[in-house]
Formats: sequence, structure tokens, C-alpha cells
Amino acid sequence: MKIKLNSRNAIASLFIALGLVLSACSGAGVDEGASTDTSGSTTEETATEAVAAECGEWNIAMHAWVGYTAGAQVLTNVGEELGCTINQVKLDEAGVTYDAIEAGSIDVIVEDWGGGRWQEWADRGQLVEVGENGNVGLIGMFVPAWMAEEYPDITDAANLNKYAELFETSESGGKGAWYEGPPGYTTIGEKMIAAGDLNFQVISTGSEAALVELFTQAVENKTAALGYFYEPHNLFGALDLVRINWPENDWSAPEEADGSTDYPKSPLIKIASKNLIDSGDPFATVFQNWTWTNADQNQIAADIEAGTDPAVAAQKWIDANRATVDGWLG
Amino acid sequence: MSTAVVNKATKIIQIRRLYLFLFVVIAWVSLATIFRGRATLALPVSENSPFNDRVGAVAAAIRAGRFENPAFIYFFNPLREIIDSAVQLVRTLIAIPVSGSIIPVVGWFGVIGIVAFIVYASSNFKFTFLAVALLLGTGVLGMWTSTMDTIAMTLTAVIFSLGIGLPLGIWAGLSDRVLTFLRPFLDLAQIVPTLVYLAPLALFFLIGAASATIATMIYSIPIVIRITALGIRGLNNSPVEASISMGSTKRQTLAKVQLPMAKQTIILGVNQTVMAALSFVVIAALIGAPGLGGPIINALTVRNVGDGFVAGLAVVLVAIMLDRSTSAAVKTKKSFVPPSADEIKRRRLNVAAMGGFAVLSIYLSRNFLWAAVWPENINTSKIVSNATNTFVDYATTTLYFLTIGFRELITIAILNPLETLLAQSPWFLTVAAIAIIALIIGGRGVAILSVILLLAIVYTGLWRDTMLTLTQVIVATLLTMIIGITVGVWIGRSQKADTAIRPFLDAGQTLPAFVYLIPMLGLFGPTRFTAIATGIVYSIPVVTKLVADGIKNVPKSMVEAAIANGSTSWQVITKVQLPASKRSLLLAANQGLIFVLAVVVIGGFVGAGGLGYLVLLGSSKPEMQGKGLSAGLAILLLGIVIDRIAQTGARRK
Amino acid sequence: MSEHNSEAAISVRDLWKVFGPKPEELINSEDAKLPRAELMKKTGNTAAVVDVSFDVAPNEVFVVMGLSGSGKSTLVRCLTRLIEPTAGSVEILGEDILKVNTSRLRHLRRTKFSMVFQHFGLLPHRKVIDNIAYALEVNGVKKEARHKRAQEVIDLVGLTGYGQSYPEQLSGGMQQRVGLARALAVDPAVMFLDEPFSALDPLIRRDMQAEVIRLHKEVGKTMVFITHDLSEAMKLGDRIAIMRDGAIVQMDTPENLVAKPADAYVADFMRDIPKSHVLTLKSLARAPKPGEATDGPELDASTVIRDASPIIIQAGRPIRVASNGKPLGIVSSEDVLKLIAGEEQ
Repeated sequence: MKIKLNSRNAIASLFIALGLVLSACSGAGVDEGASTDTSGSTTEETATEAVAAECGEWNIAMHAWVGYTAGAQVLTNVGEELGCTINQVKLDEAGVTYDAIEAGSIDVIVEDWGGGRWQEWADRGQLVEVGENGNVGLIGMFVPAWMAEEYPDITDAANLNKYAELFETSESGGKGAWYEGPPGYTTIGEKMIAAGDLNFQVISTGSEAALVELFTQAVENKTAALGYFYEPHNLFGALDLVRINWPENDWSAPEEADGSTDYPKSPLIKIASKNLIDSGDPFATVFQNWTWTNADQNQIAADIEAGTDPAVAAQKWIDANRATVDGWLG
Repeated sequence: MSTAVVNKATKIIQIRRLYLFLFVVIAWVSLATIFRGRATLALPVSENSPFNDRVGAVAAAIRAGRFENPAFIYFFNPLREIIDSAVQLVRTLIAIPVSGSIIPVVGWFGVIGIVAFIVYASSNFKFTFLAVALLLGTGVLGMWTSTMDTIAMTLTAVIFSLGIGLPLGIWAGLSDRVLTFLRPFLDLAQIVPTLVYLAPLALFFLIGAASATIATMIYSIPIVIRITALGIRGLNNSPVEASISMGSTKRQTLAKVQLPMAKQTIILGVNQTVMAALSFVVIAALIGAPGLGGPIINALTVRNVGDGFVAGLAVVLVAIMLDRSTSAAVKTKKSFVPPSADEIKRRRLNVAAMGGFAVLSIYLSRNFLWAAVWPENINTSKIVSNATNTFVDYATTTLYFLTIGFRELITIAILNPLETLLAQSPWFLTVAAIAIIALIIGGRGVAILSVILLLAIVYTGLWRDTMLTLTQVIVATLLTMIIGITVGVWIGRSQKADTAIRPFLDAGQTLPAFVYLIPMLGLFGPTRFTAIATGIVYSIPVVTKLVADGIKNVPKSMVEAAIANGSTSWQVITKVQLPASKRSLLLAANQGLIFVLAVVVIGGFVGAGGLGYLVLLGSSKPEMQGKGLSAGLAILLLGIVIDRIAQTGARRK
Repeated sequence: MSEHNSEAAISVRDLWKVFGPKPEELINSEDAKLPRAELMKKTGNTAAVVDVSFDVAPNEVFVVMGLSGSGKSTLVRCLTRLIEPTAGSVEILGEDILKVNTSRLRHLRRTKFSMVFQHFGLLPHRKVIDNIAYALEVNGVKKEARHKRAQEVIDLVGLTGYGQSYPEQLSGGMQQRVGLARALAVDPAVMFLDEPFSALDPLIRRDMQAEVIRLHKEVGKTMVFITHDLSEAMKLGDRIAIMRDGAIVQMDTPENLVAKPADAYVADFMRDIPKSHVLTLKSLARAPKPGEATDGPELDASTVIRDASPIIIQAGRPIRVASNGKPLGIVSSEDVLKLIAGEEQ
């Protein structure tokens, strides 16, 4: 009993002391120290002090794929240069992030592949579609390049059945294994199999990691693999994959697809919170003006994949493309 | 009737039951072979069943009312905002910069000081040193900020959970009626896998730190209630009766007798709550919890075992730190006698000194950059990450034949045949077979319940996915039991083995399931087996401990008698120790099943398919939300079926 | 229902306690006479206390004796409403306990009666002195005053110097001394002792029994003492009620129980009790036969036979028995031998 009381008193006295310490240095000593102590501070921190009042605090949703990271990181760096506080929040895409925008915990989606699934949220008003970001996404089914060399006609979807048994694994129940994209991604694999009467079994991979794992193994060990992939994706530099071709695309929303034609080329969309758009904040301007190309994105993504810190890789690109960046500032 | 006759009769019944069981299985397998592929109720992943559509419509209606429905305007939204301001407050204390500044209220060095002080004040130097070392470890891993976010989230959720759960737990401890009312919820909460909580809560509380905190609270409040109520109910009754007999009011008895006596159990409950909240905060990254969960999920989504491992390691360090610090406050010996006056005086001085250090460290962390922001050059994340990736690459290429060989062996020999049996045969055959097995194991009541719940699953339209999940659960539990019994018997019989292995089991039990997923993905690739392996690793500690305790509790005299009769060790184990600890084994199997189910569903992340995958699908694709929620429901129903069959089986002699 | 005895400290009439789904239906019914197992099977009820009536005189030590499951612990709890009786009435100090409201009941518990428990029921997190002062504390007595009183009873029960100890630091016997002290602290009129010594070693039990006898001599008090130990009952009880299956089988002084057991059950109990240890000269006194010496030493009728026998043997002739100087008759060594021989059979 005594000990408990004793420590309770102690904790209480600590908090009183803590309060005194905090109030004594409510001038946020570190920030002062950072701006006056030239040897200890970085330019970035000084900048924070200088323009903090003009630009707000914004949250960028961080989706998993590296291409997305590249775009988000560029926006983060530019926003911070403007004196904004930019938080990167790791989240799954689509519905989860739309809900987060409504909860006020996300302000920016850098690229959305969802083909208009956000409409319901936009109708309620908190989510705003800002337009295309300049990247064009293309989803498809891929095999490792060695297979295309060995079986040249495999790249035509009509011939897939001929090779189905090459793709058989212990997971695919006696049929060829068809590795489908992760949960959030736009997929029509089941319809493709049904429409083409393909002797394949869809395997839900659950994550992009699984696909990358699959193709890495397939390229390195020359094993067979048929899987979902997409461009822009930095791994196209490292992994030699070949696209399986279906007849020309004739749909845009997955519900319309009958499975007999290929995925569409989809321009990727920027999405923001109403808060951000209404704020008139410099960061809102940057985000609205920002566009770039697949090549820009891949350049940064490749650096990140090679082990460079995303912030550093993005800064490298910004420094090299200063004029483009200045154009976004409005 | 003499006991010998009774034993003989039970034995005959048991043997009959075994034959009956074998007969059912054989009949099931033959019928399944004949009708293979018919009436499997397979539903393509991208299609919704009518039930899914209806659930989806309800979900859409709920979403549509987010800014109009009074329930949202007056309850959900304000609640979320209150929790949000609390979370943000705690986060700005230690994790995220105060607006207009670059550091939180307290910098890293200050946090070290505070932790040292709190841990010391509630335990001793040894634990203080350990806690500080572990915390520094997270910084060295380059995870300081994420760690602080995780701790801030955990603490906020725990404070609210205790605020709600303790009074309710006390009430349930005192009132039978309250306990009767709460019990179904408490029981259910023990079965529901963490993954299942997220989607329905996100529907009402959306996504973000506040939503994650609320979800964490809903997960941990039942734990507080359960342990607090047990603590009060488990008390020796005579002091309570004495107190009443001396004319105490209920309040006096509670405050002066029951609470002081139950204090240790309640502190233990706090420990359990903290650990549960931590493990949930990690998975709650799926609905926007900041902190260490994010990098782990990210690493699962883009293949980067190394980065995920770094975050996972930080979670491990935090878990050990929080566990040791909170359990250190639980006295090991059950004594109420305080230390001597001298000791108290010495301790007071030490606590004061530690408090002084804490205040100093806070001051430093607010005034000097080195103490405010974790030094950038002390960051081993890249090194650890790369080393991990190198190791995993090495393991997957060099141990290819071992890991992949083992995976293929299990997949082809057990997993696929069982999946064919459960998922490829007509649904009514499987329902009938499970019902009959439930009848044999648990009796009529549980058989009827199983049929009702299985039919409900059929009604959701997710029958086949449920069977895929069930297959994985069964295989993982079987393997867990084989390993758990082997190791459990070993450490139950050898004190040396116990001393050597138990710390690992204790540590293993404190870790969130999520952190196991990454190394398993590295070793076994994106397959069902990865989910199974993760389930096994996660549930082995609890199963092994239960088995070992069961073996230890077998009366010494029984073992001695068997040895005196000239039994070999093998005979002692199989004829005496295992049969005598049958209850523990069954309890272990039950726990194993529930633990495995919780993990197998998150296997949806790594290609295991089944219901877990549908849950993930539903949370990211709006048009699939109805299916995702239905999958959550199916997991819940499956969990109840499994739990009821195993529980009633364990209760029957 | 018969009238309460207004002279008595405790007066119990027609008390019932039935556990089960429909307890009221069993009161005074034929079923209540069924053996326990049959009753359970037939009605789902257990009759723990069946139609019990008795009076306890002021300052009397009234012992309730019975085997485990006989209902004696339930009975004592019914008297203070730790368990609510199903039917009947209990008057303590002239007040019908079953009719008072909870705050009055609490007041009575705090001031008028107290209880000692089989497993002590001490509060492990409190010092001895605070355990003893507990009833005063919940009654709102100031710390100084209650500690002063606690110290008095600590000294009274022989725990001087242990006030600052914690229960776990004391032996079982000492812990029960704390239990006794706690019960004495409020200076109650009535004490209920529920098998207080059955958890103790035999030697310590004997000491504690002596302690109770001493305390009873010093402080008086009406006591209801529950035990399953017949010799304890014989040693302490002014009167003993023997319970079986919830009902009182016989209620009398120790002497009369030994001398005149009401039925085979009680007789069976009493068989192991050496009569010479219980019976007094009064039970042997008779008119002298012709030719017997009538000039032996005179002893009081209340002398226990065992204590009288050395004197009788030494005297070499019958002794005279008198009660308050009034002669009752004589007792010869032959009479004593016959009695002891009777026990041996």
C-alpha cells in the first residue's frame, strides 16, 4: 500500500513539475535554438519557421505501390518547401481512403485508378475530383519474357489454353494458375476466364507483394507464371515481362466488361478533400496544377526501388526539373 | 457402482464414439467423391450474392446518412471528434509536431526520462533499464516517430478502455444480472478475429486515427471487463462476508475490501488490455492508425520483407517493453506486507531522483535539438532491412528445397485433399457431416446450433469461401497441436527445457499476429501455406503452455505409480500423462482453433484467399463492401461453430 | 406460531431456509420431511433450515452442533441475515431482525452483534489493528478513537505487540485471535461464532477454546457457537442444539444429552463421549441403601464425576452430594465404576 501511495504522490509531483517546465519554456525553445544555432539547424527547419503561417497542415494518403510513392513524395517535398506541414498516412486505396477523406484524416490522393468509384463520396461533398495527373495506367496480364521466347504464340490470349498446364501449381486445383491483382485493384480476371473458356483458376493474391514475388521467381528461376500487372511500374525496368494480348478494349467501368476484351488505358485521377480545395492554401494550388508523365514517375520510382530514400529521390527530380515545379506554384 | 465399472463403461462409449467417428468420415469421403464438384455454391470473387447485395445496400444507406442521419450527427460524429482530439493531444505530446513547431511537446530524450520514471516508480531498476533499452532500440531502428505514434494510440485507447471497462467490470463482478447480460458479448469478443472488427466500425466511424482508436477500444474493453469481473468474483468470500457482517454498506465493502484485494488481478487486466490494444493498433493501420502498423501493411502490399521486418521488430520491442513494464507492477509474490520503513525511505529517494531526471530530460528535450529530434545518423533501418532481405533471398534460394518442399508436401498431402472434401462436395453433404461430427463430439444441442449457423453461412452466399478458410484452420490447428503437444510434453516433463523455452513462448504470446506474416511470406511465398504457417507460429505458444501446464498438473503419484510398475517413458507419456491431462489438451485445441482462425483470415493478405481476402476486398472496393461485410459475418459464424464444438467436446468427459 | 420469549437474548421461531426455484412452497409442506436427495429430485429444492425454533438466554453460550451439511452454518447466517431466511422470525434483543430495514440492520451489525468466521475472513491488505477497527471505521468512528478501542481488545485477546502486523504474518491461531478481537471491538451484545476453530490444529484449538471460556467469563456476552466437534460443544456449551438435515433433533444441556439422548442418532453421537467427563454427581446421587455409610465427605452436585472420582476412591466410602447445602443423596465408588464400565461396552 505504502509503495503505491508513494509512487502515486511521486507521479503527481512529477506532473506538477512537468507542467512548470513546460510553461517555463512555452516559447518552444528548440525551434528558437534551431533558427539561432546555425550549426545545428538545417535550412528546411529555418524555412518552417519563416513561412509557417501561410501554409496549413495536410495529409497525403500513401498507397502501397512505388509509383504512387514517387508522386506523393514530390508533392510532400514541394509542399514543405512552401512551409506546409505534410503528413504521409499509409492507407489502402479506394473505399478506405474515401472514408478517410470524409473523416477529415486525408486531404490528397495522388493517383486514383478507381474509374469513378468515388462518385458516391463526391456526391456527399467532402471529396473533390481534381482532374488527371498526367499518368496513364494500363493494366494487363503478363508472363515472363522467357516464355514468350519459348512459346511465341502465348502472347495471344486465344492460345492460352494450349499452355494452361504449364501454369499448374499445387494451389490451382488442376488448372493453370491465374494470379489476380490485389483486393483494391480493378480486376476482371474471372470474366476473362469465363468469356474465353480458359482452363485457368483465379488465385487471389491479396497483395502486390505476391505478384512481385511471383514474377521475380518466374524471371530468375525461369518458372512459368501468368499474373496481373500494370504500367507505369518501375519494375518493368528490372523484370522482363511480356503482355498477353486480348482484343482491343471496349469498356471503361469494370461492370461493363464482358471479359472478351482487354483492360482499358486509364488516365489517373487526382482527388482532394473539400477542405483543401476551399482553403485557398498554396498547397491546394500546387496540387491542382500538378501534372507529370509516366517517365517522370518511373525515374523517381526506379531510384526508390534501388534503395534511395524517397525524399532524396524526389528532391533529385525536383532539382532537375525546377522549371516544371515552378510552373505548379501558380 | 465401482469406479472400475464406470471407467470401463466410459471407455466402451469412447471406443464406440471413435468407431462412429471413423464411420462418418469414411461415409463422408465416399459420398464426397461420388458427388464431387456438384452444388458447391462457388461464387466468383468479383460477384455478389443476393445477400451480399442486400448488405451492400444497407452499408451504402449508412454511408449516405453520414452527414444527415441524426445517429451520425448526434452520436457517431461527435464521438469520433472527441476521441480524435484526445488522440491528437496524446500524439502531440510525444509523437507528432505541435503545430508551428518541428517537435512534439516532449522530445525523444524527454520520453525516455518519463518512461524511466514511470517504470521505476511501479517496479524496479531492472525493468527500468530494460524498458529504456528497448525504447532506445526502436530509435536505433529508425522507427522512433512511428513507435511514439503506436504508443500514443495504444495509451489513448487503453485509457478510454479502462475508463469504460473498469466500472463495467466492477459492476459485472458484483451483479449476476449484469454479468449474465454482458457474458454473450464477452464470449463473442474472445472469438471474433481482429480483422473482422475493422470494416463494420469503419462504416460508422470512418477512417483515421480516431476510428482506429475506437476500434481498438471496442476490442479491448471486453478484456478489461472480463478480467475485472473475474478478479472480483474470484476473491475469497470470507473477508467480504465478514465485512457485510460488520455492517458495511455495499460501497464500503467494495472500496475497503473487494477492490484492494482484487487490485493485483485488475493490474494484470491492465497489462492484458495494453497488450491487446497494442496488437490491435498494429492491424488498425488498415483503418488509418498511424504508427508501426503502416510500414508492416505496406511491406505486405509491396514486396519488401526487410522494411516490414524493421517495423515488426520495433513492434516486438514495444510489445516487450509494455508487457514487462505493466506486468512488473503485478507483484510476483502474493503478499500485502509493505517493505520496511528504511526501504521505503530509500525508494522514495530513488523515485525522487528518477523524477528529477525525468524533469531534466523533458527540459533538455524542449531546449536542445539533440534531445528533441532523434539523431538522423543513428538509424539502422536500412542496414537491418537490407540484411533481412539478403537473408530472405538466401533462405528462399538456398533453403528452397526445405521450405518449398515442406510447403508442397503439406499442400499436396493434406491441404488439397481436405479442401476437396470440404469445398468441392455438395454443401448439404458438408453441413450434414459437420453436424454429425458435432453430435458425436459435443452432443445434440451443439449439433443443432452448428446446422443453424452453417445454414446461415450458406445464406450469405459465401459457403465455398468459408470452407476454404475452414480447411486452412483445420490444417493449421492439426499441425499446431502436433508441434504444441510434442514441445508441451517435453517442457512439461523437463524443468530444464521449461526454463530454456518458456521465455520464448512468453515473448511469442505478446506479439501481434501481423508481425509473423512478413517472415512467413519471405519463406513460403504468397500461398495458403503462408497463412497456415503464420497461424501455427502464432498459436504455438498458447497451445504449448496449456499442454505443458496440463502435463505438470498430473498428480506426481500417478506418474510414480506408473514408473514403479515398470513403464517406459513413452508408456508414461501415452498411458498416463496425456490421458490424465486430456482436459488441458482439449482446452489447448480450442484455444488453438480460435487463435489460428484469427490469423488465417489475415492470410488474405498473402494469397490465402478465403473469407479474409473477401474482407480486404470489401474494404477497398466500394462495390464489394456488402460482400466484405458478409465475409466478416461468415468468419464470426464459423468461429462460433468451431468454438462451440470444441468447447462442448472439452466439457464432456 | 408460538410466542417469542421476551426474556431471551435471541428468540427464534419457525425459521426456514430453502434454496431452489420455489422455496416458499416447501414451508410446512409434507415434502419438507423427505430425505434431501429425494426432495431435490422431486422439487429441485434444498431445505437447509427446517422449522427451527429456540431461545438463547442472556450471557448463555448456545452451541449448534451438527455434521457438515446439517444446515448449521446456514442457520447462523439466517440469524444475522447474511442469508435471507425463507420464513419464520428472529428476535434479537427484542427486535425482529427479519422485519428491520437495511439501514437499521446495518446499524445492528455495526453495534449489537458480531461474527467470527471459520476461515477468519481477515482483510489481508490491512494491519491487525485496522482489521480490528474495521467495524468502528465503517460506523464512522474517528481514527484515534477506534485505534484506542482496537488496542484494548488487542490486549484483551493476547495479541499485544502485533497491532502493526499483517494477517499473513501471523499463525492460524493468532489470526483467529484477530477474528475474535474484531468481533469484540464493538462490544456487541451477541456474538456468532461459525466453526471458528475447525481450521486450526488440535493443540491450538484447545488453547482457543480455553480462550473463549476465559473471554466469556470476563466480558459476558451471549454467544451462538457453531461447531461440528462434539467435545468442543460439550466443553463450551451451556446448552447444545443438535442439528440434522436442517432440523434440530435435540436441544438440551450437555449432561442431559448424554444422559437422555432423544433418539438413536443423538445416542450414536454421544457414544464416544466419556459420560464421566460430562455428567455431574447430581445424575448419580441416590438415597443411601441400608447399611451404607453416610458420613463421607460432601461434594457439590455440579462437580463432574471425573473430578469427583479421586475423592470418592480416597474416601473409601460413599460421599455425600449436596446442592447449595441441601443434601441430595450419596454416590459410592461402585456407582462411578458402573458408569465408566457402561461406557466401555
